Amino acid sequence: MSMAVISDWSGPNQERARRLLDSYPEKRSAVMPLLYLASLEHGYLDAPGMTQVAELTGLTSAQVQSVASFYTMYKRDHVGKYLVSVCTSISCFLMGADDVLAAIEEESTSPDGSTSADGTFSVEHVECIGACGGAPAVQVNYELIEGVTPEKGAGLCKWLRDAAPAVVLADEMQELFGSIRSFDWGSKEADGAVAPVPAFGPYGSAAKDGKS
Amino acid sequence: MSFPLILTERMTQHPSDSHLIQRYESTGGYSVMRKALGSLQPADVIEQVKTANIQGRGGAAFPAGIKWGFLAPAEPRYLVVNGDESEPGTFKDRQLLERDPHQLVEGVILSSFALGVNHAFIYIRGEYPKPARRVQQAVEAAYEKGYLGQNILGSGFDLDVTVHLGGGAYICGEETALLNSLEGRRGEPRLKPPFPAVEGLYAKPTIVNNVETISNIPWILENGGAAFAAIGDENSVGTRMFSLSGHLKKPGNVEVPMGLTWRELIYEVGGGIRDDRELKCWVPGGASAPWFVPEHLDTKVTKDDVAQAGSMLGSGAVIVMDETTNVVAAAHRIVKFFAHESCGQCTPCREGTTWLERILWRLLNGAGRPSDIDLLLDVCDGISPGLAWPPKMTTICPLGPSAVSPITSIMTHFRDEVEAMIADSQEVANA
Amino acid sequence: MPERPPPEMVTITIDGEEVQVPKGELIIKSAEDNGTYIPRFCSHDRLKPVGKCRMCLVEVETPRGRMLTTACNFPATDELIVDTQSDVVQKAQEGILEFLLINHPLDCPVCDKGGECPLQDQTVAYGPGESRFVEEKRHFQKPIPLSEIVLMDRERCILCARCTRFSEEVSGDPLIEFVGRGNHTQVITFPDEPFASYFSGNTVQICPVGALTAKPYRFKARPWDLEAVESVSMVDASGASISIEASQNEVLRINGVDNDATNHGWLSDKDRFIFQAVHSDARITAPLIRDHAGVLHPASWGEALDLVADQLGSVRGDEVASIGGANNTNEEAFALGKFLRTVVVTPHIDAQVGDGVNPDFLAGIAPRATINDLDRADTILVWAGDLKEEFPSLFLRVRHAVNEMGAKLIVVHPRRTGLDEIATEKITYRPGDGSEVLRKLTAGEDQYASARTLLTEGSVAAVIGLTGRAEDPKTIDAIAGYVTALPNAKVLPLARRGNIFGAIDMGLAPTLLPGRVPVSSEAGRNELEGFWGPLPDTEGRNTAEILSGLQDGTLKALVLVGADPVRDGHNPGVAREALDEAEFIVSFDMFLNDSNQHAAVILPVDGFAETEGTVTNAEGRVQKVNRIAPGPGQSRALWSVLDDLSVRMGGQLAAGDGQTIAKEIATVAPAYRSLSWDRLEWGPERDGVVMPDGDGVQTLQYVPTDEGLRKAKGRLTLHSGRVLYDGGTRVSQSPALATLTPDPAVHLHPRDASALALTEGQDVDVIGELATLRLPLKVDPTLAEGAVYVPANLDSTWMLGAPDSVAVEPRPEDKGSVK
Ligand SMILES: Cc1cc2nc3c(=O)[nH]c(=O)nc-3n(C[C@H](O)[C@H](O)[C@H](O)COP(=O)(O)O)c2cc1C
Ligand code: SF4
Ligand code: FES
Repeated sequence: MSMAVISDWSGPNQERARRLLDSYPEKRSAVMPLLYLASLEHGYLDAPGMTQVAELTGLTSAQVQSVASFYTMYKRDHVGKYLVSVCTSISCFLMGADDVLAAIEEESTSPDGSTSADGTFSVEHVECIGACGGAPAVQVNYELIEGVTPEKGAGLCKWLRDAAPAVVLADEMQELFGSIRSFDWGSKEADGAVAPVPAFGPYGSAAKDGKS
Repeated sequence: MSFPLILTERMTQHPSDSHLIQRYESTGGYSVMRKALGSLQPADVIEQVKTANIQGRGGAAFPAGIKWGFLAPAEPRYLVVNGDESEPGTFKDRQLLERDPHQLVEGVILSSFALGVNHAFIYIRGEYPKPARRVQQAVEAAYEKGYLGQNILGSGFDLDVTVHLGGGAYICGEETALLNSLEGRRGEPRLKPPFPAVEGLYAKPTIVNNVETISNIPWILENGGAAFAAIGDENSVGTRMFSLSGHLKKPGNVEVPMGLTWRELIYEVGGGIRDDRELKCWVPGGASAPWFVPEHLDTKVTKDDVAQAGSMLGSGAVIVMDETTNVVAAAHRIVKFFAHESCGQCTPCREGTTWLERILWRLLNGAGRPSDIDLLLDVCDGISPGLAWPPKMTTICPLGPSAVSPITSIMTHFRDEVEAMIADSQEVANA
Repeated sequence: MPERPPPEMVTITIDGEEVQVPKGELIIKSAEDNGTYIPRFCSHDRLKPVGKCRMCLVEVETPRGRMLTTACNFPATDELIVDTQSDVVQKAQEGILEFLLINHPLDCPVCDKGGECPLQDQTVAYGPGESRFVEEKRHFQKPIPLSEIVLMDRERCILCARCTRFSEEVSGDPLIEFVGRGNHTQVITFPDEPFASYFSGNTVQICPVGALTAKPYRFKARPWDLEAVESVSMVDASGASISIEASQNEVLRINGVDNDATNHGWLSDKDRFIFQAVHSDARITAPLIRDHAGVLHPASWGEALDLVADQLGSVRGDEVASIGGANNTNEEAFALGKFLRTVVVTPHIDAQVGDGVNPDFLAGIAPRATINDLDRADTILVWAGDLKEEFPSLFLRVRHAVNEMGAKLIVVHPRRTGLDEIATEKITYRPGDGSEVLRKLTAGEDQYASARTLLTEGSVAAVIGLTGRAEDPKTIDAIAGYVTALPNAKVLPLARRGNIFGAIDMGLAPTLLPGRVPVSSEAGRNELEGFWGPLPDTEGRNTAEILSGLQDGTLKALVLVGADPVRDGHNPGVAREALDEAEFIVSFDMFLNDSNQHAAVILPVDGFAETEGTVTNAEGRVQKVNRIAPGPGQSRALWSVLDDLSVRMGGQLAAGDGQTIAKEIATVAPAYRSLSWDRLEWGPERDGVVMPDGDGVQTLQYVPTDEGLRKAKGRLTLHSGRVLYDGGTRVSQSPALATLTPDPAVHLHPRDASALALTEGQDVDVIGELATLRLPLKVDPTLAEGAVYVPANLDSTWMLGAPDSVAVEPRPEDKGSVK
């Protein structure tokens, strides 16, 4: 395996890539986690990132693009610092999610599907994110807040803009801007998201990077 | 109601640290694994799971023991835990993953031991990074303790576990799409046969089970299959996680024994309808399921009773709508979901769901035409001929036909509302 | 190689009628073979089923009642009951068509596919009358180019995945893929990575709608205006079956025809688009005579033929030699050989234009493999040129044998080939070290042990040909000697030029008479003399010897038949001098070239798609080629010109027409006794017939020897490998292909590059005996150490010829400036 192809990746991410390729019986299986790594490295999943993943997994760039474009979470265009995803699926819809979305669009100055001019926010409506008992639900960089009202949604955006947290923590946001939850969340978690890419395990949990 | 909490006991008792290995072990965790690896044969484990008669909790409610029996002998074999949980209304696996990941890991070890599997995968939907972190940490802790890896506790049994994060695609919950996704492909369902138990991951024999299904395994082995089978109803046994949402006073996840009535589930467990309004209808088993109306309140919450009444328990998601609900708008949201999540392979699903969504959108926006009712039903008929339940399918997987459920539901129970909506549009148009 | 056992048969019921079908056969095929056509879009016989368009829905009886299923992926089992006509099925089919049409533009009148579109046809047959879709259709930007050749109109695409499956499964270059999901799915390339596949045209052919179109055909014709004939591609000697389609005497399109024995319906883009050269403005349209000043003037046929007869008659017969004839039909080649041996009376005949492969090997290797033997072999050995570049349709068959039939593959070549990625074993060696490789293989030494095991333990199909132009042709005899000594091996011999095997079988070789009879066989010669009268009794000269004979004056006149030894031979310098020395040269050709620059007379002859006859491929399989357009201007069939010429020279060719010649071939050529055009027309044997067959006899016993195999000499030996899109006349006269010729570089192994202190990308001089080329350097770790790879026959490389060794040096101005 030539790791030279990802020489523009950070050392820890090169190491993560290596471990990911080892975690599966066939290296093609590492495509999806590697796409997250490429997104973390380049801020979003750009063409060079896809080509790097292709070289690591022995696929053509066209094949990697085909996989990436099937999934909604590989963003193939620039994303704001905070990706705000508002669930508008059935349960959240029943509980007024459309109003929450409208409030967030207004406060963040980014209409659904766009990025605010200052690059702070990208706003999108999403299908069910598994928080229906705490509807309406919102995610910021995939960290969840349940029981969001239009006012709290707007407040969330203001807070993100003003406090500009480097690491987004679900527990913190839930306390400030959430209410009813799908279940008792238990103890607080120190891990959070450092980028609009899901932070997880071997490819980028904030705590593991020592960044929190 | 007196019944043991099989899945949620630990997290209820120990809200602060039920996800940590120390707590898991101090409350008896991993002891049944020690026992099984030390003194049981794989066949003994399978026997207990068969005796338990546990139906899969992922949607199809297929008995897990029987499915395990289909696993072909070829090597290697794989176990894949389905944590893609993306069916609107469903959020039970999230709680199990986040709050008691070791219960799942122990279930994976026991199941893998039973099935002769040396590499298991836990596929978690991409939008669940926190549950994925917790599971990853649990897996790492288990490796550190020697519960995973080579020659576990000197038993000669090897097991690796890989946690895999999805990329945002509901269809990857369908087991063969999930396998494609895990192989680094587009999450498109495969043609069946071959079934995964014969040709699954990397074309090798594979068992796919839901998170909740596997989380039950440690309890079953500790207490015996018979104890599990004794809980609940005759044919639907054990407890089950229900995800309650919508216009309820107490939405959220609950673990209850199988066999309550819908009335009990909605009015007692769920606390009744918000602001004490009237119940209009509910989705009994996730967005794919045909809707129930108050006349179904005394139906029992079991696989068979619900099926007989023309719907399914599915993923255990109960979405309740009160009298203020615009059912066309609700149906539109659900259809929109399926159109958005269609993988796009099958012509009827790809084109049909989008078409349905656009017709409903027209209706909602005051441009309905009287012919639209027949058109909607006819498009549905093209996806699911005969509009029966369980559906006949023109498609590879049931996603396409799932989009038919909300439409047949509103046409069956609320046709007058649809007609009124169209009549209003006509009036406005003619005015 | 054992034949596969016949399939087990099962009884199934289709629409109430019981039929016997092979167990496991897909319903769609079982039904079709028994007269019931089930409509389809995604299903294709040569691609794995995906069952995604859902058009082929049928109902089957199961223990749990009737079930809808797709016929394209449902296998036949005993007592299966299938209903293809039920109300549910008909309703479903109507539904699918309506769904497909809601987003499909109704631009049939301007669509290339209009008139031959399954969607159009099936809508008429199974579809609903009118659309109930009042919403706006899906819109995409109009056709976007996927490559230089293929355009994609995404609005028309029905997402059947035929093109993407072809690219991934069959050709192995997945450069077009689905992008997006659900209703937003489209087929497209990666940005800035075009669909640069040698096989891209197949996707256009199998696209069931007009989404993929090929620039050369786009908007050229309406299908109903086209006339078609079946024929054989002449690009290489694999014998790919094609249909040639023309309108008003103009060839407009070539499609692959599914021949079980050869190409499975697939073609390379070269096979598909090279027909453009047929109508090139550069075609010679009248006989040309060169005046004393060297200027060519059009002349009448009578005038030109008088001159040729006069000149050829003015020297002794054995002072005349002939080069070429391998791009002609068997009938033309036969007439040429007969003309040379009986009218001119010369034995100096060579169709190989200097490749120098032992003709006995090409015509007489035994046991000889068929292409289908690849599918039956446990192991395939490819010791030949890069099949992807030189024999593209055979390349696909080797891929098929390996990927679908489970054959193991051993590739022996000086550098990376298109097959390496699926090879079990790869042996890289420096041209000239072939005997060394064979010695190690025989001994099973070190890294050759596993290859040896594969070759000795199961059945082997060996594909043997020259790996490059600079390889000593005797290498082939050495390899053949090794392979024929293996316990269970057959050989598929390879040589370049479309009908080289036919030409040699027709006697266009210095050592062979028609029908694989050695000149040295007195009995064989006598038999032919019984028909033809006295014949030269000595073996003739090969191309190299002909050229030296012209130089030293022992030969005086030369007949060139579609041959260009200057450009196409080993030593352009020698060839040019030899042609300069010749007293008289006549060239039969379609184009002017570097060699017939030296000819006194150039005669225009008909070529591809303009002649009817037979051709023979590498297996010895004879197939029919057909005529659909007349040659341009005064161009004539070669045999008819030779006929006239014979009369003028006091001889008798009695060619009559192609079919008369075919009859004579069957009479005088032992291996071809069973040749008859009737057998090769549409019908059970349209896949062609491997000769000898029936009455035919193989009279040639080829005994391989590796005497005198040249050892590599010099520090760096040349590997002069061919590329698909070369600088040859036909490619450069086909606009669709001409732009695709690669920019050449000289390749060196990293260790050689560093020993010479050369770095990637720098311009270097490749110094050969004849010429020095200045090319950028490519450091190529796949190349054998000690070898220098230069692509052969490009406009900027052909002058190098094929010397054994070359030197690679920095440009003089860079010397000394090296770090
Ligand atoms: C469209 C579709 C989506 C599905 N999504 C899920 C899912 O998110 N989680 C799940 O466990 N099963 C899901 N299933 C069911 C799985 O295909 C499979 O039956 C299940 O994972 C098997 O596990 P079980 O037997 O333990 O229930 C889905 C099925 C379909 C057709
Ligand atoms: S029904 Fe829909 S989601 Fe399922 S395989 Fe077909 S197109 Fe994909
Ligand atoms: S031909 Fe069978 S699904 Fe397309």
